[in-house]
Amino acid sequence: MSWDDAALLALRSLGRRCARSLLAGLGVALGTTLLVALLGIAATADSRIVSQLSHGGPAAAIHVRDAMPDPAGYDSDSLMSGPHRDLGDDAVAAIHRASHVTSVVPFLSSSALVVPCPGITPGSPDAPVPCRQPVQGYFGALVGTDLTRSRDLPITLLAGRLPAAGSMTEVAVTQSYVQRVHLDVTHRAAVLGSEIEFATPQLLPGGGTRFRGRWYRAEVVGVVAQTVDGGDFLVPIQQTQVARQWALGGADSRTLRRPTSPYTGLVVVADSLDNVHAVRQEIFAIGYANSAPEHLVASVQKYLHVVDIVLGGIGAVALAIAVIGVANTLLAAVRERWREIGVLKALGASDADVARWFLVEAGMLGVAGGLAGTAAGAGLAASVALAVNHYLVGQGLQGIDLGGPPVGLLVGAPAVAVLLAVIAAVVPALRAARLPVREALGG
Amino acid sequence: MVSVTGLNHRYGEGPTALTVLCGLEMEVERGGYAAVTGVSGAGKSTLLAILGGLEPVQQGRVLVAGMDVSLLSGCELARFRRERIGFVFQDFGLLTMLSARENVEVALALARVPRCDRRRQADSLLAEVGLADRAGHRPARLSGGELQRVAMARALANHPQVLLADEPTGNLDEGTAGRVMDLLERLREERGCTLVVITHNPELAARADHRLRLSRGRLVSL
Repeated sequence: MSWDDAALLALRSLGRRCARSLLAGLGVALGTTLLVALLGIAATADSRIVSQLSHGGPAAAIHVRDAMPDPAGYDSDSLMSGPHRDLGDDAVAAIHRASHVTSVVPFLSSSALVVPCPGITPGSPDAPVPCRQPVQGYFGALVGTDLTRSRDLPITLLAGRLPAAGSMTEVAVTQSYVQRVHLDVTHRAAVLGSEIEFATPQLLPGGGTRFRGRWYRAEVVGVVAQTVDGGDFLVPIQQTQVARQWALGGADSRTLRRPTSPYTGLVVVADSLDNVHAVRQEIFAIGYANSAPEHLVASVQKYLHVVDIVLGGIGAVALAIAVIGVANTLLAAVRERWREIGVLKALGASDADVARWFLVEAGMLGVAGGLAGTAAGAGLAASVALAVNHYLVGQGLQGIDLGGPPVGLLVGAPAVAVLLAVIAAVVPALRAARLPVREALGG
Repeated sequence: MVSVTGLNHRYGEGPTALTVLCGLEMEVERGGYAAVTGVSGAGKSTLLAILGGLEPVQQGRVLVAGMDVSLLSGCELARFRRERIGFVFQDFGLLTMLSARENVEVALALARVPRCDRRRQADSLLAEVGLADRAGHRPARLSGGELQRVAMARALANHPQVLLADEPTGNLDEGTAGRVMDLLERLREERGCTLVVITHNPELAARADHRLRLSRGRLVSL
């Protein structure tokens, strides 16, 4: 009897005892659901925690500053920088050539006088919502970067969109700006479409702090959880490069230095968390201060792995209990099919043929239960993630990655369910196979 | 085709042992028809089980379809049954979750008949026993006579050299029993296989070439 013949026989046998088969399959499905849901939720929580530690960027991201390294910072997560050192394209290329580096994204920060809602009278009934209360102009920081590579940057979009690459008239703001214009963070989307006027400074000669501004307006197109470098405004790097050129045309002073460095810093992404330390050491060797929460992430990940193991263990126990149900169902089936086993053997079925019948039947229960359970578990994990995401975003916090359970889990869980079901069927299958044919026939 | 020499068989050990076959001798030629009768517990079914390789030979020599059954291992016995023996049981022994056709196909599958040929062969066998129109029916929807005819079609699926029937009419009324036996005999003649039937029915036994009665573990010719 071939495997497909055994499959037909097994399918008919399952169909004959629909309710019992359904219950056994349901047990496997529930066990798999629990396993997938727990591990899926754990994976989401892990990524959320690691993401929080890396401020929404890649977990293996390293922040490089336009400064010499301080030897005390070589083994520290914190930034410890020495004297200023210009950071230009040569340095970017050198760091890019370092081993285990997957991407290098430069950013350039620039300070500016910020005037929210230019030309609008506060209190006017026609004023946009963010402009109804008076807001004083203030000095803020613009962070310019290549926004086409936002996936490699610690940026979390909370509302709207990121400014178009190269745009000189679009800006994304952080929540601190939202609060500054007297809006609640839960209504941050109201700020979209409003205008901000910026004046990037150029110091006038004479040794004082007098400066003239380069004025321009930008529309708020998005709200982000944080910028790359702690400023209030995220813009395409072309905006801050123009600001830098403008500043370079002016004088220099002790209080307002001319920005000589082409870039303020870099976000370097290593190919894995394990290689972050090695990449940091290479950047130190090239001569730049840098920081990454490598020790913090590593120690948190150890604890997260413990949690994963515990949750996985709970799911595995549930699955094991379900599989015991499969074994019990099949043992009952062996007793019930005593006579049929005898008939098959009388017709010439070998012990292996009979064992195959029961193993395939268990495999079918495992496949059906495993697939249904995996789908249900993934759905449950996604629902929990959605609910948590809704809550976090509602609270003005960074949301979570809704990528769903890891692919390995989605593939592995049904495979484990099938494997365990087949293992559970070994004893019933052997009992059926070894049944003396005369005894089975009732002689 | 069936040759039994000095066959002894008993159940249990020691003083409680029950001897059911004692120095039994039997000979049925190729294409022959033997009917074995005897009271309940006489060992008729044990004899049939030994001939069919369902029960191990304890002592003696049993030659069936050219094979010495006493020398065969477990796997060889399965193959022996698969290739040379056809069984017909009193309670039909059909798999209730399968249709008549599928029951026959199971025997064809065990006989390693390619899947593409099974349906045609099963339908042909069912037509041979007059059940072409009931091929798709499950056992629960067939009468006793039809069930036994399906069982006979299944028994013939592997072109057996020896057909063993254990009280094939035991669960049938007199008229149906007669028709089933007619069919069994016709099939034996057409296919040239040896037929050994266990029966309590003296009228059916009277139709056989060899009428044997099992008494005190020995066969007596009638």
